[in-house]
Amino acid sequence: MAAKTRNASPYNPVTPDIVGELRGIVGDRNVIVDEEKLETYSHDETNADEYGHMPEVVVLPTTTEQVAAVVQLANREVIPITPRGAGSGLSGGAIPDHGGILISVERMNKVVELDVDNMVIVVEAGMVTNDLAQLVQEKKLFFAGYPMSLQSCYIGGNIAENAGGGKAVKYGVTGRYIQGLELVTPTGEVVWLGGKLSKDVSGYDLTHLVVGSEGTLGIVTKAIVKLIGLPTASADLLVLFRTAREAIDVVPTIMARGIVPTSIEFMDQLSVQTSCAYLNESLPYQEAGAMLLIELDGTSAEQVEANMIATGDLCEQHGAIEVYIAEDATTKERIWSVRRNIAEAFKVYSPIQSLEDIVVPIASIPDVIPELERLSATYGMKIPCYGHAGDGNLHATLVKDPEMDMETWHTNEDRCLQELYALTTRLGGKISGEHGIGIKRKRYLKGVINPVELSLMAGIKRAWDPNNIMNPGKIFDLDGTTAS
Amino acid sequence: MNIVVPIKQVPETSNVKMDPEKGTMIRAGVESVINPLDLYAIESALRLREEHGGVVTAITMGPPPAATALRQAIAMGCDEGILVSDRKFGGADTWATSYTLAEAIRKLGAETGSERGAVDLVIAGERATDGDTAQVGPGIAAWLDLPLATYVAHITDVADGTMTVERLVEEGYQILSIPFPALITVVKESAAPRLPTLSGKKRSISQEIPVFSTENMDLDAASLGLKGSPTKVVKIATPKVTRGGELVTAGTEDEVVSAVDRLMAFLEEKDLV
Repeated sequence: MAAKTRNASPYNPVTPDIVGELRGIVGDRNVIVDEEKLETYSHDETNADEYGHMPEVVVLPTTTEQVAAVVQLANREVIPITPRGAGSGLSGGAIPDHGGILISVERMNKVVELDVDNMVIVVEAGMVTNDLAQLVQEKKLFFAGYPMSLQSCYIGGNIAENAGGGKAVKYGVTGRYIQGLELVTPTGEVVWLGGKLSKDVSGYDLTHLVVGSEGTLGIVTKAIVKLIGLPTASADLLVLFRTAREAIDVVPTIMARGIVPTSIEFMDQLSVQTSCAYLNESLPYQEAGAMLLIELDGTSAEQVEANMIATGDLCEQHGAIEVYIAEDATTKERIWSVRRNIAEAFKVYSPIQSLEDIVVPIASIPDVIPELERLSATYGMKIPCYGHAGDGNLHATLVKDPEMDMETWHTNEDRCLQELYALTTRLGGKISGEHGIGIKRKRYLKGVINPVELSLMAGIKRAWDPNNIMNPGKIFDLDGTTAS
Repeated sequence: MNIVVPIKQVPETSNVKMDPEKGTMIRAGVESVINPLDLYAIESALRLREEHGGVVTAITMGPPPAATALRQAIAMGCDEGILVSDRKFGGADTWATSYTLAEAIRKLGAETGSERGAVDLVIAGERATDGDTAQVGPGIAAWLDLPLATYVAHITDVADGTMTVERLVEEGYQILSIPFPALITVVKESAAPRLPTLSGKKRSISQEIPVFSTENMDLDAASLGLKGSPTKVVKIATPKVTRGGELVTAGTEDEVVSAVDRLMAFLEEKDLV
């Protein structure tokens, strides 16, 4: 191991010699040192001014062997590595905040094998998830662990973050569909975990330890993705309620009826109002304190229609003001665009926000709403609340008042988040349901996580990554945790 | 007020694929929806009914599955749906289609003894998003000899057997007063369409959809379907888009100035600067 040259950082810098060595591994064309081009890799979808950090060098490997060789080099030289997918993350997981080498899997985007007999597709980590979804759709198959970031994200990033999304009520999140993966470990070894198997208890479930580990336990280079049959029919209901409580109370009664909607999205009045104004949409939301957007799918139009009517009836019995339905593409697009454009609509009002994704037991959602109103009044910001009611995952978004000065915003954001996370924890929830901790929520996680759990995680990290080079400082810092 | 809204089922157009050989659209697996511009006609009709009472009847010409569009119109709030359907109607152009629909509306109005009475107003969409002709609405008016106002943006007044409408024209609005019975076609500006409701949906499932065909209509056989259509499609071709480009390269720093000059000359030539 090379000597550490700087006191301030436990890591060594990327020297011209190292760059030369990287060129030798991945080829000249696949090494980026140009400042302007590096900038692209310095941020994700979080606020670049606040969280962005430049990498020293970016490499674009095309094979697993190249990834392994780069990692071996970094481990030997004690240079930090940041794995990166499409950069559409919302917690700073792919930001090279220690500089070092950034490994982007963007050139590893091939299908290795579509195995219809086993209902799996094996792909490289840089495959755009949307492309994967479309490809299998042509074979009447379905990748159901599909998050909401739609067009841009990569399957590798989805695995690293265990991405969730709109369809989790029925289909679960990304991890459910990852049967196996090829991993380059932090010491540069290559290992296949899992397989084309629905059952596997031969030892610890390392596949799913890697899923959601935010790139701290290695770089996923290939994945075995489970597919299911493509649903052929779907319908949506847009249901208006007077209060959030009424809206949420209906959710378990739908489930108890044996109907499992694909998604149950919740929107409070502020969210709907802002999105409708942005879209010039004329939904009659004035009397509705909350709305549910319920999606149903299935293999026959008749079955979906019956479930739609049964679900709508239950909503009406639970006090719904009105139940709208969407069975054709035009109407579906119209009501979903209200939900999808909430974040965008608030960006027009004020681009400075903190997009949260707290998750609470679903019965506790109504307890969150009045607290958000209180926090909103206390800290002088708008806090619209929308998200996945079916799984308790709420995007309570802190939106800066355009008039508020930045210093006050930072102070208030911090205090408000602390209160929000304390509330979430009190309700038995967690501070992130699908976006991850990354660097954005690291210090808040420290405040709410059980120290035993944290030390178990730190122990795993130390065992997998003895030099702490693999995406260091994401989720938690090793300093101050008990050595295992 | 008795209002009829002619609607059309069109392919959902967000993901259209063309057959490069035939030059026609690949319809297999493409969902059919109510022509989006017809939704504004339905909405306008429903608002008039809310204000003045009456009945709104949606009518469509097409094969039996087109009844789905009528049920969707009923789910939005239309009172009734009429399917104009017969194998002999197949392949109709805008001439034959407007003739057949006009006769269906005439039959609807003439059905004495029913609660409907005569038709007061026909409201059509501006045009269909597939054919894009905007001819069927005015065609119906011609066959029925009704006063016609196209591109109506606002219905401002309805009283004493006449209505006042604002037509969208290049310079602004043209204000017209037209007597009932009449036909208008409406533009998007007229009224944002409401969403179908669960109660409307339930009603639409149980509702009977009468079928008008050659069996129960008095029609001129020579004006029906493909045979009755003067329009002949000779060939459908996709226009080839060719973009002639010129690449100006500055290989060395010294060549930059001359390259920029060349680029500016090109832009001036095209009147772009």
